[in-house]
Amino acid sequence: MAPGSLTLSYVKTIGICNNGLNGRGFTNPVDTAVSRDGRIFVLNRCDQARAEAIRVGICTIGEDYLGEFGDGVGDGDTQFRLVAGMAFDSEDRLHIVDEGANRITVFNSQGVFLSKWGSPGIGDGEFNGPSGIAFDSCGDCYISDQHNNRIQKFTWNGEFLTKWGGLGDDSGQLNMPWGIGVDQDDKVYVADWRNDRIQKFSSNGEHIATFGETGQSDGQFSRPSAVALDARGNIYVADWGNERVQVLDPQGNFLLKIRGEATISEWAADFFVANPDEVEVRKIANLTPVLPPRFDTPYQISSQTEPYFWGPVSVKLDGEGRLYVTETNRHRFQVYQID
Amino acid sequence: MSLQDIALMAHLMRRAGFGATYQEIHENVSDGYDHTVDHLLDPNVSDGIQQDMLRRYHPDHSGGLGTAGMAFYWLHRMVQTQTPLREKVALFWHHVFATGYGKLAQGRVLMDQVEMFRQHGFGSLKTLLIELSRDPSMIIWLDNQDNHKGAINENYGRELLELFSMGVGNYSEDDIKACAQAFTGWTVSNAKYMKMRADNDSLWPYGRLNLHFEFDEDDHDGSEMTFLNETGVFNGEEVVDIICRQPATANFISRHMYNFFVADEPPVPQWPYREPRDPEAIQILSDAYFESGYNIAEMLRVMFKSEFFKSENVRSEKVKSPAELVAGVLRLTGESRKLTPKLQGDANLLGVMGQQLLNPPSVEGWHTGTEWLDTGNLVERINYAASKFADVNKPGIKEMIGRLAADAGGVATPETLVQDCLDQMGAISLSKTSMDALLNQASKTGKSEIGTDERETDEDILGELLRLVAATPDFQRC
Repeated sequence: MAPGSLTLSYVKTIGICNNGLNGRGFTNPVDTAVSRDGRIFVLNRCDQARAEAIRVGICTIGEDYLGEFGDGVGDGDTQFRLVAGMAFDSEDRLHIVDEGANRITVFNSQGVFLSKWGSPGIGDGEFNGPSGIAFDSCGDCYISDQHNNRIQKFTWNGEFLTKWGGLGDDSGQLNMPWGIGVDQDDKVYVADWRNDRIQKFSSNGEHIATFGETGQSDGQFSRPSAVALDARGNIYVADWGNERVQVLDPQGNFLLKIRGEATISEWAADFFVANPDEVEVRKIANLTPVLPPRFDTPYQISSQTEPYFWGPVSVKLDGEGRLYVTETNRHRFQVYQID
Repeated sequence: MSLQDIALMAHLMRRAGFGATYQEIHENVSDGYDHTVDHLLDPNVSDGIQQDMLRRYHPDHSGGLGTAGMAFYWLHRMVQTQTPLREKVALFWHHVFATGYGKLAQGRVLMDQVEMFRQHGFGSLKTLLIELSRDPSMIIWLDNQDNHKGAINENYGRELLELFSMGVGNYSEDDIKACAQAFTGWTVSNAKYMKMRADNDSLWPYGRLNLHFEFDEDDHDGSEMTFLNETGVFNGEEVVDIICRQPATANFISRHMYNFFVADEPPVPQWPYREPRDPEAIQILSDAYFESGYNIAEMLRVMFKSEFFKSENVRSEKVKSPAELVAGVLRLTGESRKLTPKLQGDANLLGVMGQQLLNPPSVEGWHTGTEWLDTGNLVERINYAASKFADVNKPGIKEMIGRLAADAGGVATPETLVQDCLDQMGAISLSKTSMDALLNQASKTGKSEIGTDERETDEDILGELLRLVAATPDFQRC
């Protein structure tokens, strides 16, 4: 595939709003991760009023809901405070980052608690709002330490290795970093959230490149929240504030953007079977309205346009060439095939 | 800097905002009273609110799942804002144009209405009423999506005249019908689907869908009508224009403004039968209304600079609304200077105290004044204020104690100690009963040495006094 020839084909939408404690559906999901066997894990952050429902839901690409694990809000081994991101390591262990508890909790791929580590602070190995996590080919992990404005590198089980960053907008400095990704050469990409840019580092933190700036044009960002890399080094960015996903080539040149084209998931279809009154009026509703000029912001448009991304907080890729875009405000994720 | 100047500035900041710290009051006095009023009304001053952080940490605000998240969001704004009058004016219009969650089942669209109040609440009343008539939450709240050509629903037309502009007794039943006719076709997009989702309280499949105004020309009755003695073909805009020209509108809005910012009036239903407390003040505000072309900011400017507002007769006389009480306490204690989830607990208490934001009891809004108080919520209010001042490690309280200790310079009489505490908490005035109780407590400590590097001693004595000030009935007033 030559740079510039990349296309993203919409596959499907999975999810339905579920503000209960369990069962299929999601509540303000913030991330997805795919296990070795292809199961999709969905991290439900929930809002404060529904914190008891914080959990990890598990489903398949065929939309079978397999269950969930996690015991809501709290400080127990299987409880959470404010989950922000997660990733599988090479041994299929799932590492969940909790920015509220300043903790990393590790589960096996069956959802069984294995270990936890992390504590609040500004010292080496301590956190102030950890939010993103990614693993390199050596099995080490990189965690964005949000309010300490730095990236920290650890072994998989939490042994501190190195750190870099610092508050600022110069090259190598960070302002509330969120999502993080690692390419096949173990280069580290950081969604430098409040600087509206992506920064690329070596595995030891040397600054290599900066992509993007504040704005709504192609290649510009508004509070990017996640970054993922494909095998060719293309860069997928959750352009959260602009309510879209952008793809850059390995040099950071703009390739394409998508705004979302969600359809009714199987779970949503089941809801409508059970609620035929809503089906009838929905048929005559326009779910992609043309809005008055005063609503001409991505946020307003997304709030009124059901198929569009609303709060696209995470981008993840699987081994099958699929892109998963998680939407916090629509309680679902959209799947695209990379061609 | 005279004590009178400080007391007047504290009065202004309580009424035009949510109270002020000692430092803010002194800075404003240095700037001058009139300058402070003009600054409060300056639309170019940034509010300093970090929307990106709110959205990141409170997806419920975007999703509009309920009132809890919205109350958090608004309370956060009241506590954090650098333009407190903007939030106060939004709260004022929320009182007047009361719109409730119960019928909408969507907090987000209500918060959008409040944002509209921030944008248009200082401008022309005519613009504000037109925007209100286009507001999706108001349309659903008062059923204007069911107001059709040939089959009017007069709910919005009636309330526009009765509660939102002129008041009972200044229009006829025919005027109500004509008013409703003018607003036929003023609806929301996907009206049936949106209404059904609201009725079903449906979050499915993918959360709330926001609403927006739509004018359906085919459903608009453009036939000639007579409205308030004027005959013609009137759309909603023309009807609002006619409404704004009425002296009754000037008086009604002026009385609302006086009630909210100056002194408590009886509930609105009693207005046709009871004279305003200060008819001259209402006349001054009504004159400002017409002279400024219905401009709300100019009415506020005239009001805040008037003698009737500055009068000692109206100071510390109003009962704080729960929002004023809670936001004021939090601004003093400084515990919510950063975005913190703990604020949700404070926001939830507003409902316990009788003011669930975005969910007023009816289209009439909340009854104010002493009607905020009953035995249960008075205890709740006093306990809230006192408990918030119990922790001397909160940044705002630490700063107060630090200043008190420094000012005391080693020795303080009970009188100066109590007076200094009142100044630190926003130049509060106390009744004699409350003052005597505080002096008694200050004398009981048996320790008058403050600021002698005995930090624990300072905290013990001063923290207790601050907490007692917060527990006085006087602290419940503004």
